[in-house]
Amino acid sequence: MSVIQLDHVSRWYHNVVAVNDVSMTIGPGVTGLLGPNGAGKSTLISLMSGFLAPSAGTVTLDGQPLWRNPSVYRTIGLVPEREALFDYLTGRQFVHANAALHGLPDPSAAAQDALAVVEMSDAQDRAISTYSKGMRQRVKMASALVHDPSVLLLDEPFNGMDPRQRMHLMELLRRMGAEGRTVLFSSHILEEVEQVARQIEVVVSGRHAASGDFGAIRRLMTDRPNRYVLRSSDDRRLASALLGDPSVRGAFLRPQGGLDVEAGDFGRFAQMLPRLAREHEVRLLEVSPTDESLESVFAYLVAT
Amino acid sequence: MNPTIISLSARAVLGRRRGVMLIILPLVLIALAVVVRLLAGEGTGPAETVLGGLGLGVVLPLVALIATSSVLSPEIDDGSIVYLLAKPFSRHTVVISKLVVAFGCVVAFAVVPILVSGLVLVSSHAQLAFAYSLGALAAGAAYTALFAWLSTLSRHSVVLGLVYVLLWEGLVGGLLAGVRWVSITAWASAIVEATSGGEYTALPHLGVSYALVATLVLTVGLTFLAGRRLRSFNLTGDE
Amino acid sequence: MSSPSDHPAPPLGVIHDIGYRPYAGPRLGELSVARSLFVTGLRNCYGLGRSTKSKVLPVLLFVVMLLPALILVAVMVQARLDQQPLPYARYAMVTQLVISVFVASQAPALISRDLRFRTITLYLARPLRRSTYVLVRFASLAAAVFVLVAAPILLLYAGGVMADLPIGRETGDFVPAVVAAALLAMVLAGLSALVSAVTPKRGIAVAAVIVVLLVSFTAVSAIQGIAVEERADTLAQVAGLFSPFTLVDGVQVWLFDGPASTPAPPEGAGMGILFCIVTLVVIAGSVGAMLLRYRKAAAA
Repeated sequence: MSVIQLDHVSRWYHNVVAVNDVSMTIGPGVTGLLGPNGAGKSTLISLMSGFLAPSAGTVTLDGQPLWRNPSVYRTIGLVPEREALFDYLTGRQFVHANAALHGLPDPSAAAQDALAVVEMSDAQDRAISTYSKGMRQRVKMASALVHDPSVLLLDEPFNGMDPRQRMHLMELLRRMGAEGRTVLFSSHILEEVEQVARQIEVVVSGRHAASGDFGAIRRLMTDRPNRYVLRSSDDRRLASALLGDPSVRGAFLRPQGGLDVEAGDFGRFAQMLPRLAREHEVRLLEVSPTDESLESVFAYLVAT
Repeated sequence: MNPTIISLSARAVLGRRRGVMLIILPLVLIALAVVVRLLAGEGTGPAETVLGGLGLGVVLPLVALIATSSVLSPEIDDGSIVYLLAKPFSRHTVVISKLVVAFGCVVAFAVVPILVSGLVLVSSHAQLAFAYSLGALAAGAAYTALFAWLSTLSRHSVVLGLVYVLLWEGLVGGLLAGVRWVSITAWASAIVEATSGGEYTALPHLGVSYALVATLVLTVGLTFLAGRRLRSFNLTGDE
Repeated sequence: MSSPSDHPAPPLGVIHDIGYRPYAGPRLGELSVARSLFVTGLRNCYGLGRSTKSKVLPVLLFVVMLLPALILVAVMVQARLDQQPLPYARYAMVTQLVISVFVASQAPALISRDLRFRTITLYLARPLRRSTYVLVRFASLAAAVFVLVAAPILLLYAGGVMADLPIGRETGDFVPAVVAAALLAMVLAGLSALVSAVTPKRGIAVAAVIVVLLVSFTAVSAIQGIAVEERADTLAQVAGLFSPFTLVDGVQVWLFDGPASTPAPPEGAGMGILFCIVTLVVIAGSVGAMLLRYRKAAAA
């Protein structure tokens, strides 16, 4: 169990503050670090991987400081953002070298396993200079996985990947998270974070804007209404019943069937809806939120 | 010292276009030695010009600069050194391993050619050739450490190194005698003078023990400093 | 208010007229483009138009080039000499290290960067032919080196005129020195630009240019020194062909009867013509080779 703890961390350079009093805890599972470009995500990942020292505050992994502490790299796998790799090596040689540098007892086997996990076994004997961007990302992942780390830090890992590779990487990250590893990846693309991480940390302009399940974050902002699409056996009856409840702000009958409901107090609405439906003998066929997406959360956070 | 880093760095230096320059320099030196020998026969005067002027003064520092900067600068510049640094061993190990490769290149492409040229030029007084090789060995170590440290300081390490070699060692060192206390070439000359059995007269007196100690201190000190700079290596995003 | 997600089709888009007009007037031709590229290149060699850090080295080198000239003028005035302590045409040879460092640091900045980061495609997307681009870059670099070499000579000349040295004689020495400076600038620019065009990474390009300039000069002067001692005059003179500084020095010695900076300047018509031809060949050849190189570059 590896937990990264940031405690009132700030990082400034001359009079530019890159990270401003951020405190967060990254535990096992997949966490998404979300923020617009220039928000400080790369800085945070550098801080967490021991490649930057905080100007104030502490960054620790299981209580151990990360700065100037090479032994932590036994448990950390880092996939940096920069594209540069050892172009003159083949994929296999590169991953093998990484395995050897970690002091693994059988570097070739470990390299083969890592390459198989990222599905690069076919191309492993070609020089890295011939690789496409997505292949380079996968080789970087392999090099980070080869020593079986319990912490994985990925800086913008989905950059330059085509949809199929993205899906594959998402699946891989989910699996890593399910195995109990601490996986943190950064992105400024909302769909990516939404599909992989349930726990997000939002960073905007160096400040820690929000953290938690994005649904939970959403719920914290109760003054912004939630919208749902309901389908039921009798829409009109349900609509008139709903409008009687104070948690519902509006209901709209859709032309193709179904109800659009705008609810103010989500919690109360969620409890009330089944009860109400039962009372009026309306069968609920579908209840889906229409805007509980990261997009709306994010846009809301950025706008404030 | 880490054998993987050594083999990676060796591949980086030798397998690319830079490797060509490393071979050309000693070839020019040896070719020149042959031409001079054919022209002038044996003579310590011409030997001093070729070995001291071209060998110690130009070929050696240039080979050291090219070798060291090939081994460190590109990786620091484009950030791929992070794969060597995110590993559970000390950063000093990284520096020392890379310096081993760089120094190996210096020996192969500068010290040995100087020895060969010396033997070509004055085959009957082999001691002179060996004296120059020893001087080259010492100066090569010092240069390698110096350029390694410069590589960790700035991305323009090659230009800085050149300015140092040409302007400080070359120009100023030739003009001001006092510079000899802090000039790597002067130290090397002192070593040559001492080991050549007095056949070679160098600059105004600079004790060989001072030269040896200074070389050692500079080499070890700068290597250590380079390692320390790597410990504080900052990984930035795409600048 | 809330609206269902399946509205009827949104109203047709409209582009608002905010006064934007495309430019339809006369445009300057390729010559203007070339001229502004030339001026920009020349300024960039001295750090103007670049970051502060890149101004340091060229300005420093320029000052270091001028300092000896200042000192010489002061000496000449103080000691009331009746001629220049150092002849104009020899100044370049004395300061060749500084010139070499300048060329080695600026040529890659001017040429390698565009190739490495592929901004060359941006240049060629304008009404600028590939050959024009190459020639203009070469011209900028040559002009920058010329300024560096000629400025101290001009300073010496001005100092001499103000110290009442005979103007006719001084001008007769000054003009050939300036011509030699121009030739030297072109040779150096050609060679260094070619090397830079072939090695896109700036660091190696710098080292490569220095290697070429420094090693050639040291080797040539070593050979010349020894050959002169051994009375192998022809060899000594031919050796002078192999370093830009000695090559141009030889040309100005033979053409203008100037003061020699090497122990073995060319003597006789044959050798002199050979030096001139080699100079021209080096200049034309390096430009030609660059044109060939750039033919691939835009496609690569």
